[in-house]
Amino acid sequence: MTPTSLLSVRDLVVEFQTGEGIVRAVNNVSFDIPLGKTIGIVGESGSGKSVTSLAVMGLLQKPAARIPQGEIYFNGQDLLKYNEDQMRSIRGNQISMIFQEPMTSLNPVFKVGEQIAEALRIHKRLSAKEAWEKAIHLMNQVGIPNPSVSAHKYPHEMSGGQKQRVMIAMAISCEPQLLIADEPTTALDVTIQKQVLELLHKLQQEYKMSMMFITHDLGVIGDIADDVVVMYRSNVVEKNTSNNIFMGANHPYTKGLLACRPKLGANPRRLLTVSDFMTEEGQEKIVLPERIQIFDKEMVEDKSEKVLLEVQDLVTQFPIKGGFFGRTVDNFKAVDGVSFKLKKGKTLGLVGESGCGKTTLGRSILRLIEPAAGKIIFDGKDITNVNHEELRQLRKKMQIIFQDPYSSLNPRMTIADILTEPLKIHNEGGSNSQRIDMARELIEKVGLKSNQMNRYPHEFSGGQRQRICIARALMLRPEFVICDESVSALDVSIQAQVLNLLLDLQEEFGLTYIFISHDLSVVNFIADEVGVMYAGKIIEMDKASRIYKSAKEEYTRALLSAIPKGETKNSSGLMV
Amino acid sequence: MNTNSLWKDAFFRLTKDKLAVASLVIVLAYFIIAILSSLGLIASGWSQEVGASNLAPSIDHFFGTDIFGRSVIMKVIRGTQVAMSVGVAASLIAIPIGVTLGALAGYFGGWVDDFVTWLYTTFSSVPNIMLLISITLILGKGIFSVYVALGLTSWVHLCRLIRGEVLKHREREYVQAAAAIGGGHLRKLFRHILPNVSHIIIINTSMQFQVAIKSEVILSYLGLGVQGEPSWGTMIDDAKLELVRGVWWQLAGATLAMFFILLALNILGDALRDALDPKLKGK
Repeated sequence: MTPTSLLSVRDLVVEFQTGEGIVRAVNNVSFDIPLGKTIGIVGESGSGKSVTSLAVMGLLQKPAARIPQGEIYFNGQDLLKYNEDQMRSIRGNQISMIFQEPMTSLNPVFKVGEQIAEALRIHKRLSAKEAWEKAIHLMNQVGIPNPSVSAHKYPHEMSGGQKQRVMIAMAISCEPQLLIADEPTTALDVTIQKQVLELLHKLQQEYKMSMMFITHDLGVIGDIADDVVVMYRSNVVEKNTSNNIFMGANHPYTKGLLACRPKLGANPRRLLTVSDFMTEEGQEKIVLPERIQIFDKEMVEDKSEKVLLEVQDLVTQFPIKGGFFGRTVDNFKAVDGVSFKLKKGKTLGLVGESGCGKTTLGRSILRLIEPAAGKIIFDGKDITNVNHEELRQLRKKMQIIFQDPYSSLNPRMTIADILTEPLKIHNEGGSNSQRIDMARELIEKVGLKSNQMNRYPHEFSGGQRQRICIARALMLRPEFVICDESVSALDVSIQAQVLNLLLDLQEEFGLTYIFISHDLSVVNFIADEVGVMYAGKIIEMDKASRIYKSAKEEYTRALLSAIPKGETKNSSGLMV
Repeated sequence: MNTNSLWKDAFFRLTKDKLAVASLVIVLAYFIIAILSSLGLIASGWSQEVGASNLAPSIDHFFGTDIFGRSVIMKVIRGTQVAMSVGVAASLIAIPIGVTLGALAGYFGGWVDDFVTWLYTTFSSVPNIMLLISITLILGKGIFSVYVALGLTSWVHLCRLIRGEVLKHREREYVQAAAAIGGGHLRKLFRHILPNVSHIIIINTSMQFQVAIKSEVILSYLGLGVQGEPSWGTMIDDAKLELVRGVWWQLAGATLAMFFILLALNILGDALRDALDPKLKGK
C-alpha cells in the first residue's frame, strides 16, 4: 500500500453460499482511498459494490458470506484479521456508514437527538448531557433548522431529506477517518439530493475525512468524487480520476453508463444503453452513428389534433381527522384546481418533488381515488361521475404503470396469470390458450423471453419486473397510460432501456402517456409537454424544450439546477 | 433457479430442517392412528377386559390395565382419535369464521371493521375456559359440544391476524394494479390478497391445533367433554385417584401421548413460520 492511503483493499474476494451453490459477489477487487479524498464506487445493482463496503465494515452476514482471499488495510492494519470486539471499536468510531434508506435506518421509537447522542456515549464516553449538547451542535452542522427543537422530534416527524441529514450527523459524530456512503441520495428527490451532496462535500473538507461514495449513477459522482472505481459483474473494470473518467472513459461499460443518463438538452431519439457499447460477452462495440444523432422533437410535424384527455379544475382532497372521536376537521387539498389538455399520441410529463400531488393527480384521473371537484373528459366523454360498470369498461382504455416493480406484481401469481388476468376480467381474447398466445407476443415485445411465462415475479430482476408491469398494462390495448415514477426505482442503465421501450411502444401502438417523475431530465427526454407541479397546482406548463431553455418560475429553475450534470466541477463534461 | 411456486419453495425449505421433518412424521402418525381407530381397525376392543384390574406395564400390556382390566394402550389410541378429531373439527369451524371476518374487516374497513373488531374484542375479553364451559353447558355434554365450543372460541386469534395482514396488503401496489385493470372487490380480495396471507392460516392452524387438544383434555378432565369414550382428559381424571395407590401408568400413557403431539405441533408451527415467511426467505 502507498503511505498516503487510509484504506487499501487488495485482491478482495467475497463469496456467498446459496441454495444454488457458491456465488462470487466480489472478484479480485483492489483500490485505495487516499487520506482526505473521496472515491466513488459505481456499478449497477448486483455488481458487488455494496458487498465490498460491507466487507470493509466487517458487516457481512456470516456464515453465508466468506472471504477466501484478500486484505483490507486500514491505517496499515489488516481489518480482516481483527476479531469482532476490535471491529466494533472501529465501526462507528473510525469508519462509519450512511445507508440508502433514511426511512428505515433510524429507530422510530427514539428521538433523533438521542440517536445521535448514543454513538457519542458509546465511543467517546461522554455524559448524557455532553452528548446531547454535542448532538445539537452536530444537527446544526448538517443544516437541520432549529436544532434544539428538532432534536426532540421523532423520525416520523421529519422529511426524508432531514432524516438523511440526521443519519449523516450520526455518522460524523465520532469524527471518523473514513465515511462510507452507500447510495445516500438514491431515495431522495433531486433537489434534496443536491443539498445532501453539497453537505457531504462540505463536511468532508471540514473534518478532513476520506469518503467512499457508492452509487449506481455516474452523474452524481462528478460532483463529489476525486477518483472513481467502476464495478461490473463483481469485477473492477475501470479505475481513474473522475476528471479522466468524464473526459474520456476507457472501458465500454463506463462509456455506456455515462451515456445512458438523459441530458437536459438535446438527446438522441432513443437513449444510448450499455449494450450500444458492449456485447453480452463484454467485448467493445462500435456505436452506430445513427444512435448518437441528436433528435429534435420540435422538428416532428404535429399531426395529431385530437384531444384525448382534458382535465378541468380537478380537486382531490383528503380529510384531516382530529379531536377525540376522529371527526373530519379539515381537508387537505392534494390536487388543487388542475387543468390541462393532452393530445392523442403525445406525452405529458408531470414533475415535482414528493408530496406535490403528482401521484394523486394521476390516480384521480383514473378514478382510483375519487376527485372532489372538477371534470375529467376522456375521448370526448365526461368520466368524472360514470358508474361502476362504465368505469370498469373504461379501464380497458386507461392503464397505469406503478413505481415499485417489486410490490406491484402479485408474488403468488405466475407471469402468465398476471398477464392474462386483464383479459379474463373483461372477458376478452377468446380461449385461455389464445390469451396465453397474446401474452407471449407482448412479453417478447417488451424484451423478455416467452419461455419465462410460468415463472414467478421473485425470479426476475427489477428492470425485468418493470417490463412485466408494462406488458400487463398493454394487454388490453389501452389508448392512454399513466407512468407513475415508473423508472425511478431502476438503475440508470436499466432506466434508459425502459424509457426506450416506452417510446417504442408509444410509436407502435399510438399510445398517449402521462409520465410522472421527480427527475426533470427524464421528463425532458420522454415528454412533449411538461407540467411542473408544486403544492397541488401546476405552476408552469410548456413544451419540454422551452421549459429547459427558459423556465419562467423560480421553482422550476431550482429543479433544473439540482439535476446532476454528469460532469466534474472543473471539467466541461464531454460525453461519448 | 428452478421455476418453483412459493409453496414448493417453502416445502423444500421445510424438508431441509430435520427436526421439522421428524415433527411432521409424528403428526402424520397421530393422524393415521386416529383414522385407523375411527375405522375400527385398531383399538376397537378397548372396552373389553384383557386382564386383571390395574396390572402394571408388561410385555403383554405395554401400559398395563386400568381398574376394569381394560388395556391402557387401547384407551390411549381411542383418546388420540378423540383429540385429533377435536383439533380438525375446531379448525374447520374456526378457519372459515376467522378468515371471512378478518378479511372483510381488513379489506372494507369502516363500520364492517368496527363491528368485527367489537365482536372479537368482546369474545377475547371473556376468559376462554369460561366461554368453553358455558357453551358446553348450553349445548349439553358430549363430543359435539366440544367441537362447537372450541371452534367458536379459537377463531379470534386467526381473525385478528388476517385482518392486520389484509389491511397491510390492501394498500400494496399489486392490489391497486388489479383495480386499475378493472378487477372488482371480490377479485382483489380472493384472487390477490388472500393467497398472499394464506400462509398465516397454515401457521396459525398448526398452533391452534394444540390449543384445541389441550382444551379438550381440560374439558374432559372437568367432566364436560366426551362421554362414554376414553379421552386423555378422562384418563388423567381417573388417574388422579389411582396415583396414591401407585397406579401411574394410566397417567403416563395419556401424558406421553399428549406430550409428543404437542411438542411436534409446536416445532412444526415454528418451522412452518420460518419456511413460509417471505421475509426470512434465503436466510
